[in-house]
Amino acid sequence: MSTTVSPEAPAPAPRPDDENGARQSRARQLPELLLRALLTQRIVLLLVLLVAVVVTFLTLSARNYLTAPYDASYLSATLISAVPLVMLGLAELLVITSGRGGIDLSVGAIVSLTSMVFGFAYGEWGWPLWGSIVLAAAFGGLCGALNGFLIAYIGYPALITTLATYYAFSSIAIVINDQQPISTDPIQAFFSAARSVPIGGGEDPLQVPLGILTFLLPTAVVIWLLLNRTTYGRRLYAIGTNDVAAEWTGIDVRRTRFTAYFTAGVISGLVAVVTVAQFASARPDAGVAGSGMALPAITIAVLGGVAITGGIGRVAGVVLATLLIVWLNAGILLAVPGNAGSQWQLAALGIVLVFAALLNGYASRRYGRTG
Amino acid sequence: MSSSTLTPPGGAPAGQQAHTAKERGRVLPFPITGQEIVLIVVIVALWVALALATPAFLTEGSIVPLFVAMAPVALIGIGMTVIIITGGIDVSVAGIVMVCAVVVAKAMVDSGASLPVAVALSVVIGGLLGLVNGVLIAYGRVHAIIITFGTANLFKFLGLQLFGGTTVDNIPGTLAFFGRGEAGRTLGVPHSFLVMLLIAAAAWYYLRHTPGGRHLYAIGGDADAARLAGVKVQRRVMSAYVLTGLLTGLAACFVIARGTSTLAPNVGAGMELAAIAAVVIGGTSIMGGRGSVLGTVLGALLVQTVTSGVTQLGWRSQLSSLFIGIFILIAVGADLLRQRARRTT
Repeated sequence: MSTTVSPEAPAPAPRPDDENGARQSRARQLPELLLRALLTQRIVLLLVLLVAVVVTFLTLSARNYLTAPYDASYLSATLISAVPLVMLGLAELLVITSGRGGIDLSVGAIVSLTSMVFGFAYGEWGWPLWGSIVLAAAFGGLCGALNGFLIAYIGYPALITTLATYYAFSSIAIVINDQQPISTDPIQAFFSAARSVPIGGGEDPLQVPLGILTFLLPTAVVIWLLLNRTTYGRRLYAIGTNDVAAEWTGIDVRRTRFTAYFTAGVISGLVAVVTVAQFASARPDAGVAGSGMALPAITIAVLGGVAITGGIGRVAGVVLATLLIVWLNAGILLAVPGNAGSQWQLAALGIVLVFAALLNGYASRRYGRTG
Repeated sequence: MSSSTLTPPGGAPAGQQAHTAKERGRVLPFPITGQEIVLIVVIVALWVALALATPAFLTEGSIVPLFVAMAPVALIGIGMTVIIITGGIDVSVAGIVMVCAVVVAKAMVDSGASLPVAVALSVVIGGLLGLVNGVLIAYGRVHAIIITFGTANLFKFLGLQLFGGTTVDNIPGTLAFFGRGEAGRTLGVPHSFLVMLLIAAAAWYYLRHTPGGRHLYAIGGDADAARLAGVKVQRRVMSAYVLTGLLTGLAACFVIARGTSTLAPNVGAGMELAAIAAVVIGGTSIMGGRGSVLGTVLGALLVQTVTSGVTQLGWRSQLSSLFIGIFILIAVGADLLRQRARRTT
């Protein structure tokens, strides 16, 4: 596990008997080492792919093949769609890493239901903004706690539990306000939370969506700290790797796993606030319309190197995977205009995911377990 | 289990054969499990309650559409049962339904394909898409849920490209043989329901009484042990996905037949979760190695009864998902309790 979780994975130590030719052989090994890093370190692979995508579209843009310029301001504007993706991807990171088939299909349904609760509190009951956001986080946490209780304490399989709560939450979200969205004046004014703000000085400051600063970055930092700088994070990786061994070392496996689902619920509750701001309306199908929010979030997590078997996964992987998908989609939208563009986005997502999964399988056969 | 599949070497005396037959009876579980009995009781209770609440429920105009509506989900559920028994899962079936449905609908509209041609076309395309899943999962050795998430996107892309941004209109009634109308019934029983039952019976026999079927359970129980025992794990796993593809292709024909003359690009949406729900309510373990087709058919019937019942009672139709969610939790909870009881005794 140490080779996969810690970023500074040591290269295999040179054998003592070839100390003489160590320098020469290291030079010869360089391509092999690079290939190994590319195959076993998901972060490296994602970085290379990200650079390749951005450079490709910048070149196409410079030669006028695209319908609009693919430049810094466009890239930063498209980041608005990265906010829910990264946050839900981090939620999936927590539950999938907790192991024992951990997965959460219900995050989209929690977003829908919490959107309505937030809509009621802020748009109808006249609660202050901070109170409504706290309520949304708490309510999302409650939904996640239901998942976590059933999975960690009763022993339900995660896939089935969250399938059932997906059905239940999305049904309640639609019935609770008779299928009607809430878009009263305070909710419509809340659209300002989805605006862009200038970053940096100079003549032409970069416009960055506000949600990045208020929701995405704080969540990512908190989850990173949780996973890498607290004992809870170590315990989560431990139960995901081998929960029997973790039990014998004295870790409260059930409580640790429960907390993962609870935290995923809290994050989903915050995503609900972001979605209400983006739509300027609390929609009962916010998180389940179309193919929903759960499947893209799981896809992002897996693409980001989270092992579906548990115990492996990093925040940076999820963030990079989201950037890759968002900027790839943004480019496709300019290259293939109209309806066909959104269809090609589906194809791109599918190809990238299958490719990454096959590469994972190949790399783990060649180098052992990888991250 | 091995004693039921391995025949003793050399000519076994008659007494020995009687012994193995007896042994087989003991090795195989009882044909109907506790979960299935409970399901039958629940379904009967629901039907009685619905009949008392709305007299219109137990009429032909309500029961026939119910059977026609459940057939596609049950059919996909049969394949999904086989996959889940091997320890896998397939979340791409909605995409397969979409591709098959649009190809068949276009073939019928543009070139007037006949009923056999349409069904064959749909089944072959479904099988090919299932083969893509099967090869990637069995030979790429990647977890099934990841690959099928990926192919779900690809199939959806393919389907949307074929739709070309519009609906397919004026679909002829070629598939009325499987529809809910008069042409779709023999002695009042819908053909789609009959076909589904026949396939379910065949799958039930295959899973329970043939070596190939028992191998699937062995793979789900412990794939490494199965491989060491001589089971061709990769080939069997691949064939499970191909089978599901074939059945999903047939289900796509049923979906067209039960619909109107217009096919919209949202065809098939949500069917993967509905099929998984039917399988799980039917008592098949999501961990693999345990489950039955009979339970899946009953699970699909229960889901459709709830859906129809909620509409007929005049409640909001979305409420049915709430009940389906609760039923899943109860069904799996009952299964967990029984497992725990079995372990302690």
